[in-house]
Amino acid sequence: MVNPVLLIVVPLGLAFAIPLFGFISKRIEKYIPTVAMLFNLIVSLLLIPKALQQPIVVSIGGFPPPFCINLVAGPVGILFSAIIALVGLLVSIYALDYIKEGAATEKYHTLYLLLLVGATGVVLTGDIFNLFVFFEILCISSYALVAYSGDKAGIESAVKYLIQGTIGSALLLIAIALLYGLFGTLNMADIARNIDSVSPISVFVPLVLFITGLGVEAAIFPLNAWLPDAHSSAPSSISAILSGIAIEVGIYAVARVVFTIFGAQSIFLFLVFLGLVTLLIGEMCAFSQRNIKRLLAYSSIGQIGLILFALGIATHSGVVGGLFQIIAHTLSKALLFLTVGYMIYRTGSLEISTLEGMGRRMPLTSLAFTIGAFSLVGLPPFAGFPSKFLIVRAALITQEPLFVVLIALVLLGTIIEGAYFLRIIQVLYFKGTQEHKSTNAQVKREEAPIIALIPIFILMLLILIIGIYPKLVTGVLNSAAGEFLNRIEYIKAVLG
Amino acid sequence: MIYYLGAFGLIFIGLYIVLVKHNLIKVIIGLSILDTGINLFLISIGFVKKGTAPIFSRPGLKAIRMVDPVPQALVLTAIVIGVAVLALALSLAIRLYQHYGTLNLRKIKEQKW
Repeated sequence: MVNPVLLIVVPLGLAFAIPLFGFISKRIEKYIPTVAMLFNLIVSLLLIPKALQQPIVVSIGGFPPPFCINLVAGPVGILFSAIIALVGLLVSIYALDYIKEGAATEKYHTLYLLLLVGATGVVLTGDIFNLFVFFEILCISSYALVAYSGDKAGIESAVKYLIQGTIGSALLLIAIALLYGLFGTLNMADIARNIDSVSPISVFVPLVLFITGLGVEAAIFPLNAWLPDAHSSAPSSISAILSGIAIEVGIYAVARVVFTIFGAQSIFLFLVFLGLVTLLIGEMCAFSQRNIKRLLAYSSIGQIGLILFALGIATHSGVVGGLFQIIAHTLSKALLFLTVGYMIYRTGSLEISTLEGMGRRMPLTSLAFTIGAFSLVGLPPFAGFPSKFLIVRAALITQEPLFVVLIALVLLGTIIEGAYFLRIIQVLYFKGTQEHKSTNAQVKREEAPIIALIPIFILMLLILIIGIYPKLVTGVLNSAAGEFLNRIEYIKAVLG
Repeated sequence: MIYYLGAFGLIFIGLYIVLVKHNLIKVIIGLSILDTGINLFLISIGFVKKGTAPIFSRPGLKAIRMVDPVPQALVLTAIVIGVAVLALALSLAIRLYQHYGTLNLRKIKEQKW
């Protein structure tokens, strides 16, 4: 059997070996992230069947679980690590051409791999302090990557992101210290076992600090001021990773803390409202944007709100819907940012109006953008449709009038989303074509390079396949939702 | 008790500086104070009065009189992370100054909602 530790160790080792590979040949540096993520994807896929039967618990150092740092590769952990590896692999292929070779490229590739290691570590760990450490790896490398281009906007957003992110992680650390003071342990399962033995008030403060601290990275509404700046001024390949992976990992951590560690029934409704507000604010801000990458960033905030809403319903079907939405959003948003990356590269501007006629200049890229946008809006037969369908169904079968009202507001958010995405698609295909016809019939084709089209194509295919045949992932999602909702199972699996 | 007061005092001083000051260097100093406060808090959780290091260095030492080693390990890690963040923040401050010619965060607002 393959050991899940390899999912963290191999990319981490390779990340720091990249400068060494650079001594041998400057050429091979950029292939290292691809190799590492391919390895992770294969290992994750190999581990899925085993993790579905029984969570794989790895004790590091040979002590039994409450005394050691342990990894828990259950359905949730393996599902997330597979998604991270898949998107990481595709984006690293894209970056082979997108990140032009220069003096600092080895730094880019090292940081990129470290970001993915941090994300994988967060989803696999079973220890709250270890979660904090991996979270910091994720955050610090993303601060640096936002500033990678070194231009005015990048540096300014990185500074903002760094200040807010550091305060968030400081709150997280205070929460961890409080929990350690209460329980004398850092193991998630051990804390979860003992959480009912102390008064609810003394657990409430750490819970609030956890949600606030993790909420900064997860971009939950009042804490998301950094996101539009950071996502829009990072290089497009990094925007895809930040939007597709980093904030999802934040949401995962919130869900893990709320569901598994605290089992806090009373806070679910609060999460639902928080999700709804995040969704509506994100979509409304996105609607008024003229800058295409900023628009996509705000749309990410909206999607995060939807995921939080679905997880907050906290029934089996709600959590399945939320996890499905995570997959759909990761694939679609990565696709959108990757296609937009080359559109911006060709036009040299971030304004939506400059994308006029792109449907003829870059037909394949525009097609991919359209598919990603349709999937995000939730049109069949793309991946966004089953996820939104599941969320609406989950809200309706609770049979509470409150949820019926709330889901109506969620659908309102979706309509706004549809409006602005259709506006961009109109600009891509139907605007400015008349003049082109009259002046020169032959529009110059400037397609994205073939090496960037490969990942775009794979993402398109995956969105279509999952949209047409959702059963492909629902099996894993069902057991993942089971892991979130059944704390006793989790505690038993870890502590024996 | 006094340690907890000191720790939370430092945490709140740090937060106050981050929220109120306009100069980026001062904000970074605030973050650093915040970090220090948290580290002190972690250490004081595991503190035992007149305790010894958790090593059975001589016979007759009782485990009950030893300070908890786990928070110390946590603090070591947290210090390293803090240094990394601080270094990154200062290098970003240098680049920010090169671009804008000022470190006043109120004057730097090209990116907005």
